[in-house]
Amino acid sequence: MNVRSQISMVFHLDKCIGCHTCSIACKNIWTDRKGAEYMWWNNVETKPGTGFPTQWEDQEKYRGGWEKKNGSINLKSISKTRTITDIFHNPSMPSMDDYYEPWTYKYDELFNAPEGSDQPTARPISLVTGEYINVEAGPNWDDDLGGSRVYAENDPNLKNLSEEQQQQLFAIERLVMFYFPRICNHCLNPSCVASCPSGALYKRGEDGIVLIDQKRCRGWRQCIAACPYKKTFYNWSTGKSEKCILCFPRLETGQAPACFHSCVGRIRYLGVLLYDADRIEEVANKPNDELVDAHRSLILNPNDPAVISAALQNGVHESVIEFAQKSPVYKFVKEWKIALPPHIEFRTLPMLYYVPPMSPVMAQQNDDTVQSVSDSFFHDIEQSRVPLQFLANLFGAGHQGKVVYALKKQKAVRTYRRAVTVGDIEMSVAEKMLNEADCTTQEAEAIYQLTSLCTFDDRFVIPPMHREEAIEMMKDPHEHRSEVGFGFVEKPERGL
Amino acid sequence: MMRKKILLLKNNRRNSAKWFLAMLMFFIIISVAAYSQESADLFRQNCQSCHTIGGGKLTGPDLKNVAQRKDRAWLTKFIQDPRAVLDAGDQYALDLQREARGAVMPALPGMTKARAEALLDLIDAESKLEKSQFVGVQISERPFTPRDVEIGRQIFKGYVKLSNGGPPCIACHTAHSIGGLGGGTLAPDLTTVFERYEGRKTLVTWLSAPATPTMQSVFKKQALNPEEVLSLTAFFQYTLQRNPEDPSTARLNFILLGLGGTLLVLGVFDVVWNKRFRSVRRILVQSMKLGEKQ
Repeated sequence: MNVRSQISMVFHLDKCIGCHTCSIACKNIWTDRKGAEYMWWNNVETKPGTGFPTQWEDQEKYRGGWEKKNGSINLKSISKTRTITDIFHNPSMPSMDDYYEPWTYKYDELFNAPEGSDQPTARPISLVTGEYINVEAGPNWDDDLGGSRVYAENDPNLKNLSEEQQQQLFAIERLVMFYFPRICNHCLNPSCVASCPSGALYKRGEDGIVLIDQKRCRGWRQCIAACPYKKTFYNWSTGKSEKCILCFPRLETGQAPACFHSCVGRIRYLGVLLYDADRIEEVANKPNDELVDAHRSLILNPNDPAVISAALQNGVHESVIEFAQKSPVYKFVKEWKIALPPHIEFRTLPMLYYVPPMSPVMAQQNDDTVQSVSDSFFHDIEQSRVPLQFLANLFGAGHQGKVVYALKKQKAVRTYRRAVTVGDIEMSVAEKMLNEADCTTQEAEAIYQLTSLCTFDDRFVIPPMHREEAIEMMKDPHEHRSEVGFGFVEKPERGL
Repeated sequence: MMRKKILLLKNNRRNSAKWFLAMLMFFIIISVAAYSQESADLFRQNCQSCHTIGGGKLTGPDLKNVAQRKDRAWLTKFIQDPRAVLDAGDQYALDLQREARGAVMPALPGMTKARAEALLDLIDAESKLEKSQFVGVQISERPFTPRDVEIGRQIFKGYVKLSNGGPPCIACHTAHSIGGLGGGTLAPDLTTVFERYEGRKTLVTWLSAPATPTMQSVFKKQALNPEEVLSLTAFFQYTLQRNPEDPSTARLNFILLGLGGTLLVLGVFDVVWNKRFRSVRRILVQSMKLGEKQ
């Protein structure tokens, strides 16, 4: 057992209102720079939809992540020989058009327009070339367009839905969408790290944050092709690649990352998990239907004395173990099993989990009144507006079991709370439902508490980062002290 | 006793004088021989490709008894700088140029007055002989066969190596019927060289010891052997006979061949990298727009 700690996240999709505050918070702090205008380390997508970059989930096109071949997993985008053959042209590289060309407006033309018979307008100009452009795409181009012909209908997650299910999804009165906020997953088996020819990408030992060393990055852009979530970005100005850093400077000072901190819907949870690093390869090689369970089995119980002693032996600080025991992520993922990793079939073992959304209540208009079409108060999950297979493609590698389990439990908790607070549902019915959903009343209360009444401190259980210990592992702290602090800020530059 | 010693000394002195004279004679003979030898080499390397002594006209006139046709001072001047004499409008020199079909005798680097004089001495001496060593290159006069032409082509294109290690013609020259891509453009087109050199004899002689500065520096130490000279001459005769095309069509062919080749290579690339990433968003939007129009 090789116990390590990892800062992990849970996004509760039922709570997301799609306000993009997280994206703006992130943009303002990190990517409001030349060359980074098109990057959205945090973005919120509408599902069904094609996302950012367009259809990023379709790995037949983008060739990101790992593929299982001859009993072991290999990077889909690159191999040692192809590093040489594709050296002048990487055939899996998305172009700026697949993201979007960032733009601003020529406000001068608006403010200083001469008097005329037409309304003055500020014409859009490209932030890359500075020339006038026709804006054709943006990072949220399909925002809220649940039924759009171009975008929603081309969602890669619709691939093994029956014709009937697909039509349901876009039928009048069944039309549905939900939001899917995304940041870097800080994976356990990151394909971006594996693909880097310069060794510039690394996963921090003490907290599992995946970073790009701006000094070692040579702009090969292999990480951009290799990341199946398309969460590494190439900065055309500095010639280096960049990605979400999980606001580690904030974490190190005990603050939640900016997107977490600013989240209006309070959908985001952050905590530390202990996992067994020895089993990563074995788990990443499991067949698709076992992946979710196997991934979950990597996470170790922080209350288990054997795990604690192994963790201490491995240099995980006592305080980190203590915080792991309080981690909200552990509860969602491991205890309640209602949070699931996105697209686990890419085999990067993401450490960001999603609580799948319950669909809105289905209603029908009869003359002037709108009525629920379901007999019971909450509709049956099999009847939900979002086809289960769609959610299974997103969160279960195509297998519905885990998604059904998570949704059933959520529905049971809702029913139980309805019985407690309103009382129009029989308690015995609610308890029976809880029982069927593999849930107890205590657990239901806990889920309710952490979902609905959670405070700042409940959501973000940030362990002390112990940078000093991490530094000690690499070099003499006295030497390190003399190299940091006041000094010169070196900007990233092209070349060696 | 004493006297004997003196005699010995006298004898020694007389002997030394004899030795000195003998050595002097020897050196003079050697140096004269060497000097005339140098002139002969000079003639072989530089003059022989255009001139004979008693062997008839090649590109330049037969030099037998040249001293009787023109005075020595004029000849010395002409050998040192033929271009200058021509530019001065000398009628005799202009007539010679006309006879040589416009060819101007190249000025040889390092051609001093002394060397020119030595050359003239050599020509005088050779003119008096029954048969000069410079009557012309003796190469078989057998008729050319198609095989000769083919070997000549192979030599031209470098498929057959030159026996003394010289570079193939195609490196600098081009000619007709050596393939669509042609040869080098650094040196003249050799398609009509057979005509320019007035036929077999001159061309064979010239090829045996090429005299232009560029060719000489390349082939001085790795001369063509007589068989190679014959094959190449046969090939040049053949290229002349093949009515040469209009050079502009050859250029058009070259461009078309280049375009075709480029397209072929691009096609191969397209097949090899068929699975490459193509634009996603644009294709998506365009295909939808197309669908709506239908």
